[in-house]
Amino acid sequence: MCQSCQVRADSTYRTAGTAGTTGEGAAGLTTHAPQAAHTVTLPGSLDEAVAALSAMPTAVPVAGGTDLMAAVNAGLLRPAGLVGLGRINEIRGWQYQDGAALLGAGLTHARMGRPDFAALIPALAAAARAAGPPQIRNAGTLGGNIASAQPTGDALPVLAALEASLVIAGPGGTRREIPIGRLLAGLDMLRPGELIGYVRVPLLHAPQTFLKATARTGPSRAVASVAVVLDPARRSVRCAVGAVAPMPLRPFDAERWVSSVVDWDGERTLPPDVLAAFGDYVAAACIPDPTPAQSALDGTEPGTLPPAVLHLRRTVATLARRALGRALA
Amino acid sequence: MTEMGGMAGSAATGGGTGPGDVTGALAAAAPVVSAAATARPHGLGVSVPAADADAKTQGTFPYAADLWAEGLLWAAVLRAPHPRARILAVDTSAAAAMPGVHAVVTHADVPGAGTHGRTVADRPVFASDTVRHHGEPIAAVAADHPDTARLAAAAVAVEYEVLDPVTDPEAAFSAEPLHPDGNLVRHIPLRFGDPEAQGEVVVEGLYRIGRQDPAPIGAEAALAVPRPDGGVEIYTASTDPHTDRDLVAACLGLPQERVKVVVTGVPGAMGDREDPALQIALGLLALRTGHPVKLAATREESFLAHGHRHPTLLRYRHHADAEGKLVKVEAQILLDAGAYADSSAEALAAAVAFACGPYVVPNAFVEGWAVRTNNPPSGHVRGEGAMQVCAAYEGQMDKLAAKLGLDPAELRMRNVMATGDLLPTGQTVTCPAPVAELLRAVRDYPLPEPAAPEDDWALPGGPDGAGEPGAVRRGVGYGVGMVHMLGAEGADEVSTATVKVSGQVATVICAAVETGQGFTTLARQIVQEVLGVEEVHVAPVDTDQPPSGPAAHGRHTWVSGGAVERAARMVRTQLLQPLAHQFGMSTELLSIADGKITSYDGVLSTTVAEALEGKELWATAQCRPHPTEPLDESGQGDAFVGMSFCAVRAVVDVDVELGSVRVVEMAVAQDVGRVLNPAQARTRIEAGITQGIGAALTENLRTHAGHIRRPDLTAYALPTALDTPDIHIVKLVEERDVVAPFGAKALSAAPVVTSPAAVASAVRAATGRPVNRLPIRPQTAAMAVQGS
Repeated sequence: MCQSCQVRADSTYRTAGTAGTTGEGAAGLTTHAPQAAHTVTLPGSLDEAVAALSAMPTAVPVAGGTDLMAAVNAGLLRPAGLVGLGRINEIRGWQYQDGAALLGAGLTHARMGRPDFAALIPALAAAARAAGPPQIRNAGTLGGNIASAQPTGDALPVLAALEASLVIAGPGGTRREIPIGRLLAGLDMLRPGELIGYVRVPLLHAPQTFLKATARTGPSRAVASVAVVLDPARRSVRCAVGAVAPMPLRPFDAERWVSSVVDWDGERTLPPDVLAAFGDYVAAACIPDPTPAQSALDGTEPGTLPPAVLHLRRTVATLARRALGRALA
Repeated sequence: MTEMGGMAGSAATGGGTGPGDVTGALAAAAPVVSAAATARPHGLGVSVPAADADAKTQGTFPYAADLWAEGLLWAAVLRAPHPRARILAVDTSAAAAMPGVHAVVTHADVPGAGTHGRTVADRPVFASDTVRHHGEPIAAVAADHPDTARLAAAAVAVEYEVLDPVTDPEAAFSAEPLHPDGNLVRHIPLRFGDPEAQGEVVVEGLYRIGRQDPAPIGAEAALAVPRPDGGVEIYTASTDPHTDRDLVAACLGLPQERVKVVVTGVPGAMGDREDPALQIALGLLALRTGHPVKLAATREESFLAHGHRHPTLLRYRHHADAEGKLVKVEAQILLDAGAYADSSAEALAAAVAFACGPYVVPNAFVEGWAVRTNNPPSGHVRGEGAMQVCAAYEGQMDKLAAKLGLDPAELRMRNVMATGDLLPTGQTVTCPAPVAELLRAVRDYPLPEPAAPEDDWALPGGPDGAGEPGAVRRGVGYGVGMVHMLGAEGADEVSTATVKVSGQVATVICAAVETGQGFTTLARQIVQEVLGVEEVHVAPVDTDQPPSGPAAHGRHTWVSGGAVERAARMVRTQLLQPLAHQFGMSTELLSIADGKITSYDGVLSTTVAEALEGKELWATAQCRPHPTEPLDESGQGDAFVGMSFCAVRAVVDVDVELGSVRVVEMAVAQDVGRVLNPAQARTRIEAGITQGIGAALTENLRTHAGHIRRPDLTAYALPTALDTPDIHIVKLVEERDVVAPFGAKALSAAPVVTSPAAVASAVRAATGRPVNRLPIRPQTAAMAVQGS
């Protein structure tokens, strides 16, 4: 290297091996495959995508890539191949089937946030609008939000409250349907070669809300989130709490109680103290008092929660109260 | 586009300018770009745009992470996964045997000094026998691909004996020494006045300040290129290239002239942005392999390795008389320095000296300590020391006001200092100190209208958020703060600059680094002003130039700006002397403007180019401000060259059920000496306020038993445009500081120091809760709602 060695701007990775240094120790051998040379397949249909995954079991499906490609760029993940789902038009929109909407797994958050979608499934639209900055919402998809199954995934509590089910595409054109809760709980995992094709969501034709508490006003992950949906046909209120546990939690007792209090044929409003009681009921169910054994482990007073957890419980109570109040307003 | 100026700017444009907004008026009076392209406004007091602004906005500006050299290798650093451990064995054989790996180095390969550090050389280049913080470097690898380097670093086998970390700074006093130098980095017992003095009213408080990360928009990166003479060149975004060069040379066992640091584009700097350990490791790898070696740190590495703002514990007792005049302040200040000394001694000096704030305090007793722990390292971050104490003493002023039933602004007004008053260090404040004027300006500025109920953008939590108008309480709070400029306690603050004129073009050569603070723009303006030449270039910086010191404490505005001015004046004299002689008049009677030289009576009129007659004129000058002295054993001494002051009024909305806070408006008045570039002044103040809002509400790098829990920008929430309020610069007091070049004071640090205190004060006013911890946690801002 000479003193006047050229240093210039170039943002791409280059390897020493290509620059005439093959005389080095290991004779130009390197351990890496160049970054862009993975097998990338771009199937045009769901069945082609399943076939590509079956043909190469080590390949990873990628839709928006907002989680996956960040991990790849950080060097945490080196998939042997990628199956891109972006060209599968059949999963980029939605259709209607037997009073339900069949949402394509490739729907982006940006698309779900638009007013026409919000008229169909308001809570999912609200969650999509809250799910990060515009760049992420433009790329990130509904299916990706489910598959990555982050505790803070904003769509998840809404889908749990809606009791959505997943249409899974498998090898040989097979389709099976599982409730979303079973997948998120790990009771029914995706099998090799399978892909989430669609999400079946009932159309309830009633108010729904999604509220999210965050640490700042700008886009950020949920500290806690609450989805409340009304199902007038079944005369029920359904609620799910996100971000406080590895998967969304459903406070069934609180739902049943509040469903029995609502006057479904009348005004459908509840007085503030009932809303507050619902909030406290939901919060206590999702963030229970510690058992004596737990208190001993944390070194806290028996039956009391640490201040931060207590505040989280208050946050859930407030969100649930407000979410129900707005749904019934 | 550096730091958060961009974000703050975008938010402020959205908010528009309010009534009497100073910079709005200034900007209108001095348009940034005039219609006539030939004679754009230039010189001092004009909003000259930055020369690199277009390249930065278009993405063509090269940063260190973009550099590439023929045949380069990629480096990776193995970092300790434990905050404290004994290293029993390091085995690099598996890593070295990996195909594609060219070199693996550990502490045993460091040819020169094994330790480095800016003030005290107490930090090992690579941990040899002891790990003292999570992320401390242990080995470095050079390989032909970044992935190979990363894998090889992971293949270095290290055997640790994990030890219990000391993470509580209060425990550091009694803990066994974490370092051969002991756990006490510095202790300053300041004694000023009568210890027996008592006030009629006494308030006490305990305050905790979190760990703010400088979080530059671009992480650390460097490229080391070996030289044929056995030396090495390091390309990096250093803010203090000469110090970095000296550290690298010492550790590589090379004479200083064989190491050259070349400064590349700086992607944001809120303090020390580069990690010298990284440059030493890269230099070592380059010398070992004979190849250029590059490393671009990930955000995680950046969080682990660089210096953070000192987490601080402060205990205060304020005595005042019945009218609210301060009688005595007692304080204990404990700075968590992390594992190594770095700039902690200097931060502690600022914390102790400004412990009472810009108030007249006849008696002060302050104990300050900086101690070693196994927490992440602390270092220089804008306004260090001064920011932490400001949050505490302003908290005390709020308490005092509440106890006396006085308006918080009125209580502050009764105590503010002015020029001629004494600091508790015994130093007389000789510079302009228009604190009363600043406070009056923000207090009298009209309050913003309450948000319209249907405007969900204005709710805490933002649009589509969970906020509910019925649960929102508004609060108004004040912060008044001060910060020193330039290095303190006898630091030799000197800068050298060279100015050259040739034809219609002038060039400035000065090793002051442009970090986004606007120094190159300022240097151009100074030369334009003095020499009347519009086209001025500022040369890139490297260590072949004479040193100009670190880009910190606003020193380049002062010392480097001063050096540029002197050099330009010397060139001017050289240029005008022959003409003056020819026409029998003194040079003072000649003026230069727009490239033309004219005499006072109009007899002489020529151009600069003609007067030069094809010659090049060069001049080099230094600027060295008056000396300072270290604080003595009772914390007394004239330790600071200059000080600047700031007052902020914060208006916040708090959703008292969720504890979410939205800052509605920040009204700022600042003591600036003289505005040299109005647009730049505005962005600097907005950036500082925004950084302060981050420190007040969200920015805290959390650790658990010494481990940084989530070193990423999702968990570490920087303010975005949505978090940034309308920032109204109500008043810039232009009272020139006679000892500073142009009378100008540095702008960036004072708003960072003051705004967190103002936000905390406003949250206190909104909720009635004691806010004694920054950042403010939601459970603090939420009022306990009973039973509902």
